[in-house]
Order: sequence, then C-alpha cells, then structure tokens
Amino acid sequence: MRTIKLKKDPLKLLNDVLKHLKASPDLGIFKCVQCGMCSSVCPAAKRTDYDPREMLRRVLQDDETVVEDESIWYCFSCYTCNSVCPSGNNACEVNQILRQMAIDKGDIQKIESFTPYGDSFINKGVGSIPDKYYDDMVKDAGSNCMDIKRDIQNIRSDLGLGSYILPDDSIKEIDSILKNSGFIGRIEMVKRCNK
Amino acid sequence: MKLTPEKNILLFKSCLINVEYPGVESSTKYILDRIGVEYVVDDRQSCCTGLGYYFDLFDQLSTTAIAARNFKIGSETGHSNIVTMCATCYAILKKSAEILNENSEARNKINDIMVKSGLENMEYHQGDVDPAENIFHVAEIFFNKRDEISKLVKVDLSDLRVATHHACHYCKVFYKDAIKGVRDPNLLDGLVASVGVETIGWYDHKKVTCGSGFRQRFINKEISLDVTGEKLQSLKDNHVDVLIHMCPNCQMQFDRYQPCIAEKLETEFDIFHLNIAQFIALAMGADPYSVLGIQTHTVSVAPLIKQLKSKYEEINSEQTK
Repeated sequence: MRTIKLKKDPLKLLNDVLKHLKASPDLGIFKCVQCGMCSSVCPAAKRTDYDPREMLRRVLQDDETVVEDESIWYCFSCYTCNSVCPSGNNACEVNQILRQMAIDKGDIQKIESFTPYGDSFINKGVGSIPDKYYDDMVKDAGSNCMDIKRDIQNIRSDLGLGSYILPDDSIKEIDSILKNSGFIGRIEMVKRCNK
Repeated sequence: MKLTPEKNILLFKSCLINVEYPGVESSTKYILDRIGVEYVVDDRQSCCTGLGYYFDLFDQLSTTAIAARNFKIGSETGHSNIVTMCATCYAILKKSAEILNENSEARNKINDIMVKSGLENMEYHQGDVDPAENIFHVAEIFFNKRDEISKLVKVDLSDLRVATHHACHYCKVFYKDAIKGVRDPNLLDGLVASVGVETIGWYDHKKVTCGSGFRQRFINKEISLDVTGEKLQSLKDNHVDVLIHMCPNCQMQFDRYQPCIAEKLETEFDIFHLNIAQFIALAMGADPYSVLGIQTHTVSVAPLIKQLKSKYEEINSEQTK
C-alpha cells in the first residue's frame, strides 16, 4: 500500500514566526492571499532576487530553506509592502524575523561588521555608524563630513546644544540593562566567532 | 483630528540628528519655544537603538528594555509624552510600547532585567505608555499648531518649488496612526502650506523610500543609491528647488550622496535638502547658521540663503525700527 508521509508539523516555520517577539499581535500572515502587492511596490524586488511574495509563500508552505536564502538580506526595511497589504500582513516584519532566525542558526557574518555600532551604544548610550562605513561615506560625500564629525561638539555648542554623550550614571545603567538582556553577550559572541 | 499634546513632552534626541544635522534639533526647539509647547530634553535619554535594530544587530528584547528605560526617564519628570524628530525613533518606540503593553511574558522579562540591573524604579507597568496617545513625531505637533506657526512667518518663501519626502517609518510602519495620508502622504505638504508655500503636491516616486535601507547603503551601495537616484531624477523632472524631510536618515541619504549620484549619472541635481523644522524656522526668520545649522550640510544651502538675503535684510531693518 502506498502511504503519504505527512509532515509532523506542517506549520512549524509559520508558528515560529508568529511566536517571535518581533511579530506584531495582528500580524496577518495566515490571511496572505499571494496577491503580490508587496512585491509590486518593493524597491528590492525591482532590483534584486528578493521577492516578498515568494518569501511569504515559502513560510506558509513550511519551507525552512527560506531562512538560508541570501535574497532575504536585500529588504530595505521601508515597510512599503506593509502599507499596501490588503490582508493586514507585514512582509517586512516577517523578513526581519527570518533574518534573526538565520543569525540564531549561526549566520553571524551578516552582523559582524555592524558590531562597532553596539560598542558605541554600550560606551556612550548612543549608537553610531561603524567607522569603516563612515569612511566609505566620506569617500563618496567628501571630506566635509569628516570635518563635521571632528568639530561636532563645537558646532553643537554654537547651536545652543549640549553634549550628546550620556552622563556616566546613565551609561552604567545601560551597560547593566544590556548585560542582563543578553545584548553584550551577543556582541561578544559575534566578535569571538569571527576571530 | 488626531489629538497631540502641547505639554509634558520629552523631546526625544536622535543619534543622527546629534552628530549629522544638529540644526534639526535647534530648529525644532526654536519653533516649539515660539508656539507655546512645553517640553524637556533629558541628558539621560539614550538613543532608541534604531540603526542597530535595522542592521539586525539589536535584538527586540534589548531594544524594548532600552525603550522602557527611556519611557521612565520621561515619566519621572512628568514628561510622559514622547515626541521624536526621527521617523525611526518614532516607530521603534511605538513598537516597544506595544510589546510592553500586550506581551506580558516580555514585560515580565524586561522587569526582571531592570531588577537584576538594580533599577527597580524603572519597572514598566501595563499601559504606562500608550503607543497611539503618547508617542508622536514632532511634525504632528507642528501640524496641529499650524495656525500659530502661520502667524509667525516673516520670510516669504513662496517663490520656491518645494516637494516633500515623507519618511517610511512614519507613514508605513504604523500606518493606521499616520495623519494626512499614507499612499499619498500630505503631512509635510500641509506644514509647508502653513508657512505660505504651495508644494508641487504629488510627484512620481513621492512615497518611495530614500533608498538608505539601513544595511543596504553600506553593504549594497549601488542598489541603495540607485533608488535615491531615481527619486532625485523625478524631483529634477519636476524642477524642484527644495526637498523637505522629516527623518535624519533620509536627509543623509539625499544630502550626503546627491553630488556623487549626480556624477555617476552624469547629470546635475540642484536640490537643497531641509528638514521640515529647518524650513519652518527659516520662514520664521531664524538664523541659517546659529539655528538651522546649515554648516553641516553637504549640499550647500548658502546659495538659497543668498537668494533670500534681501528678504532677511527687510526683516532686520523692520526689527531695528
């Protein structure tokens, strides 16, 4: 007799997405009708292999390989898909959840170059664009940006603004919160793995 | 009409305004001080984590815990209304408030984090902050006070061709809370009208992203700048002089990269980039350097100021009379 083996839990990926802390309470992924509005307005779909409708189809069909698909890393986080979805779904949010799943599975290369943002947040209470990327911007935008960066405290004081770096007590509070939330551990892990 | 607060406001500092366009903050304060809105800026308030969040570096729990701390800093001094100058701060904080109110497991985890960190006073109680009634973008505050803004206009800017760029994270994340349209956004157009200037209204690409895409600008720069270039071309086709912004990240994308995009496309773009607060302050006669802070812009705003110089001189001579 021929038997068809059913998946034990054919909605596993979908439920994992819905259970994720990032998932909005009204995330309408079950209501997706595959109409393609999301893909039609997506700036990444226009230019790359990323296709939000296809990504959602794969989540609905429990295709876990979508998590490893490079194309999910092209989303612009512009939420245009969200704003036009007739079903109350949010492809942009689903994308962010899949990316976190990819990182949790070990694809930390995707965030390694951004760890200096985390260091700046921990040390100053304010995040900043990593130097490597800031230097890229200076190459494109001209050295004027670097002059602004160097002179920023003077410029701010001319505008009647104080220092933007937090007081020491606040930095200590943030350090404790980020230690206990696991963020500092996450950053250290990424740096360790990269060595 | 969406109600917006006029007092008890924590004006929420933004990382990119801090170091890229601090003139947005000084212009915002300049306006708020003149339209009778009570607010504070608090040194202890940290950045919202937004860039890190969209670099996929910050996890949701950490971002939400940081938001809980910032909410408490506001309420501690009686300033529980959070008003942001950046669209990403706006959406990040709304998302965090939603989680803190609706997800008791996450709320308990965050409260445990506070206790473990010796910050029992920072525990969050359900409903402390309402994402729709306590968190706003400053453009919304200006919009509901636009009649007062109109009365303070001193410089006639009506000769300029102005277009608007509505930040995605204001319009499209919590689209039900956005005022004056999402698919055809007009919040900034309404504000520009309040200082006596009619915008060009709808244009092709009006609601398209700036192209920054957070990681895309740095990892896939060609794709990112292609989006920006397309929008700049559309603005050029419409002979736009000034593009109005409401988010420092968008402003950076256009202002910092406009010259190199023009070079790449073998064209010229003569478009000035101003935040809505800078534009309103300009119309109110504020100093371009000590209030608007145009010295940090890549696309020099000096030619625009020069063009308006005679109008400024008129105001100054009237004021000295």
